[in-house]
Amino acid sequence: MTIKLRLNGKKISIDSRYENIPLLWYIREEAGLKGTKFGCGIGQCGACTLHIDEKAVRSCSVPVSSLNGKAITTIEGLARDNNSLHPVQEAWMEIDVPQCGYCQAGQIMSAVALLNTTPSPTDDDIDRGMTNICRCASYVRIRQATKKAADILNASSEKI
Amino acid sequence: MSSRALGRREFFKSSVVSGGWLLAIQLPLSTKTASRVPDDIKESSDWSIYLSIRPDNSVIMESPITEMGQFMRTTGPMMLADELDLDWEAIKFTQDAKLHLSRNKEGGLSYSHANMDTGGSHSVRWTWEYLRKAGAIARQMLIETAADVWGVPVSELKTKKSVIYHSTSQRSALYGDLALHASQRRIDTNTTRLKTKSEFKIIGNATHNIDLKRIVTGEPRFGIDMAYPNCLQAVIYRAPAVGAEIVSYNKTAALAIPGVKKIIEMERMDDSYWFSGNTQYIAAGIAVLADSLWAAIQGRNTLNPQWKNTSKYANQNSEEQIKTFHTLVTEDGPAKETQNFGDTKTAFNDADIILQQVYEKPLLAHALLEPLNCIADIRDTDATIITGHQFPIRIAEEVERFTGIDALNVEVICKPMGGGFGRRAERDWVREAVLLSKKIKAPVKVTWLREDEMERDLHDPASVSQIKASLKNGNITGWHHRQAQTGGGAQDSCFPQGVVPNFKVELCTFKSHIPSGAWRGPQHPAWAFAAESMIDELAHAAGIDPYQFRMDLMLPARTFPHTNWGATIKDSGRMAECYKQAANLANWSKARPKHTGLGIAGHFCHGSYAAFVVEVAVENGTLKINEAWGAIDCGLAINPNHIRAQMEGGFIDGLNAALFNKINVVAGAVQNNQFNTFYLGRMKDAPLDVHTTIIQNNHPPTGVGEPPTAPAAASLVNAIYAASGRRIRTLPVIESFNHEEEYV
Repeated sequence: MTIKLRLNGKKISIDSRYENIPLLWYIREEAGLKGTKFGCGIGQCGACTLHIDEKAVRSCSVPVSSLNGKAITTIEGLARDNNSLHPVQEAWMEIDVPQCGYCQAGQIMSAVALLNTTPSPTDDDIDRGMTNICRCASYVRIRQATKKAADILNASSEKI
Repeated sequence: MSSRALGRREFFKSSVVSGGWLLAIQLPLSTKTASRVPDDIKESSDWSIYLSIRPDNSVIMESPITEMGQFMRTTGPMMLADELDLDWEAIKFTQDAKLHLSRNKEGGLSYSHANMDTGGSHSVRWTWEYLRKAGAIARQMLIETAADVWGVPVSELKTKKSVIYHSTSQRSALYGDLALHASQRRIDTNTTRLKTKSEFKIIGNATHNIDLKRIVTGEPRFGIDMAYPNCLQAVIYRAPAVGAEIVSYNKTAALAIPGVKKIIEMERMDDSYWFSGNTQYIAAGIAVLADSLWAAIQGRNTLNPQWKNTSKYANQNSEEQIKTFHTLVTEDGPAKETQNFGDTKTAFNDADIILQQVYEKPLLAHALLEPLNCIADIRDTDATIITGHQFPIRIAEEVERFTGIDALNVEVICKPMGGGFGRRAERDWVREAVLLSKKIKAPVKVTWLREDEMERDLHDPASVSQIKASLKNGNITGWHHRQAQTGGGAQDSCFPQGVVPNFKVELCTFKSHIPSGAWRGPQHPAWAFAAESMIDELAHAAGIDPYQFRMDLMLPARTFPHTNWGATIKDSGRMAECYKQAANLANWSKARPKHTGLGIAGHFCHGSYAAFVVEVAVENGTLKINEAWGAIDCGLAINPNHIRAQMEGGFIDGLNAALFNKINVVAGAVQNNQFNTFYLGRMKDAPLDVHTTIIQNNHPPTGVGEPPTAPAAASLVNAIYAASGRRIRTLPVIESFNHEEEYV
């Protein structure tokens, strides 16, 4: 039985022989999308964070078999199109957050999910909602960029 | 105009490629870079840097220095682009740095182009002269060409953002217009002038990371992201205990996993390396090779290997070793004297107050977020290696040493690293991939799992330091430091050496076989933790404010020799200025609420000075780190934005290490080998902000990768003391507090 889902807006079918593969490895090795990273494989570090039905999920701990009918968004699918970036990506660029950059796709995906549920996060909200590891400890700028992204998103939604 | 006579070392090459000027310049070695290069290389090497200026004035540049989050991919080009007066915004950067090596007639290897290495916070120091000269030479070629074409003196020409101007005749030309012509130009590099500080247009600017867009859009960048044609995926199940050998494993079960192709045994290997002397460098292991990484992982998980350990390395136990260190330092164990100034005995006899304390720091893990990985394609007479490495020349050396292939025939593609911290300076993971590819006569990509990275680490050594120190009239008069540790030495030429007149350091003799290696600021965290804690304790014993006490210690400004690696001189005045700026930024004298306290600590390493004040709150057995303020003196600040980022990240890295980082080795095996047993600091554990002052002066640029990390531990325990009256002398700090760890 194939598993049918959406990946970055596109309908795909995954053969059942992949049903036990963790989503992370399917995304990276089979779908060739390298933005989502491997850090630990046990759901602790968050480098593998992507969205399943708009919720932040650690993909190393999700078997493909559980994904029938789901919509997955990876860092590659976050921007509307090639010429624009998601406001969170824009904020990340404005603040110049990354150091080595390895964790940042996961951080961005976590921030997007946080801001979806908490559009004006306090420092406590950020502490609770942003639990991804950054080994370079770029937390000061991740915090600043999350707040900046909130400002950008709130400003654009106010215009509507 | 024809060329003037040029010596061999002034010769440069440039050629035209795809309609663009591909610039390759051979530069005379500056004395600074020359000191890095063995004498036998100096006379013979081709030094050059690649830069392509197209007719449409666009520029493609290869950023030469390896990147591990320390921003050298950005800083390197800034230095060159400034001297060349390039339009920074119009530069496109290639993704990778390629290895180019040369050999002298005695067979010694060196980089043909800019020094690619990163480590010891030295990348800027190694390339400051070279990259600027490369840019200046290219500019000179362009303006001399323009001068010829226009028939005007060179002195009347100005350059700005990739354009040459002759204001008198109101003429201008794009670099791209003249590039082809300029590429033929010979110049006398003895007449090449470098800019003065006031002329810099790019250096000194808060510039953003050149790879920002690639990073935030998830473009494949790291070694672990790379594919290679016809390449098998390999995961190696290595013996967890140091010294162990394979007894048996379930080969059939592994081969039964769909996609698994081969099972290869990997030999245990000892080697002698700079940190630990002779010890195990590569573990015995079973490599599972498959057509997909997931198949290889599954194959590895079915192996169920049995090991035996009859080696002399068996039964390494980190807690037992630390206990032994305590005994050695406190009970006069055999030791080598490494520093002895003045007469500590007399100083102690004359003292008003004597303190004696023992400071303990455990083994630290690197915990690189991108686990080690390497693609190796070993062919008959040449090879290709793809990985991230801090010292890429070592990769070519490894291939040559273990396959006989000439190092000059090794293609190395250097990828940015998902963390380096000294671990990616080693050779082991490259060697494994090379040996595996050689064995199977096919390309292979070896990927390490998290457990592999934690277990096969070369840890920052565990160390125990006893300090006995004396006060007379509120001044430190004597200091006797005894240290025992897993490997390496002591940073005993750091402060307070020099400012304390009677000063003695002894390193106790002990041979551990727990592999140890360079961590961020090797051995500086251990030294700074002990020294800046004791300085704090002395201040409190003397009834003097800890900030004032440090100022009195460091002033008047004096310079002293620094005799360990990384610097030749240390300046107590520059150290004092860091303390002062950090304290001012923190509003040191402002009263804090109850249960809240400030701690101050500073350190000099690798030529730079850094000091921090951190504010913590201690309540109901819980520790909260509120905020921090830091000051750094790294001489000329090339990119204040990234210096600030290093201060933020480096300091929090130091805090996290002091708070949480402790590796336990039992029967030779790392016990806490995953992120659910080894906790890495999160957002909630970090201060809300780290404010930074970058001190301005006329010193040449020095590094910022490591200086912010070393003072973190002491600043933290000093703040905890101020907040709670409790003095912590054993790391990790978290063992003294309640802490909520979140496991998903």
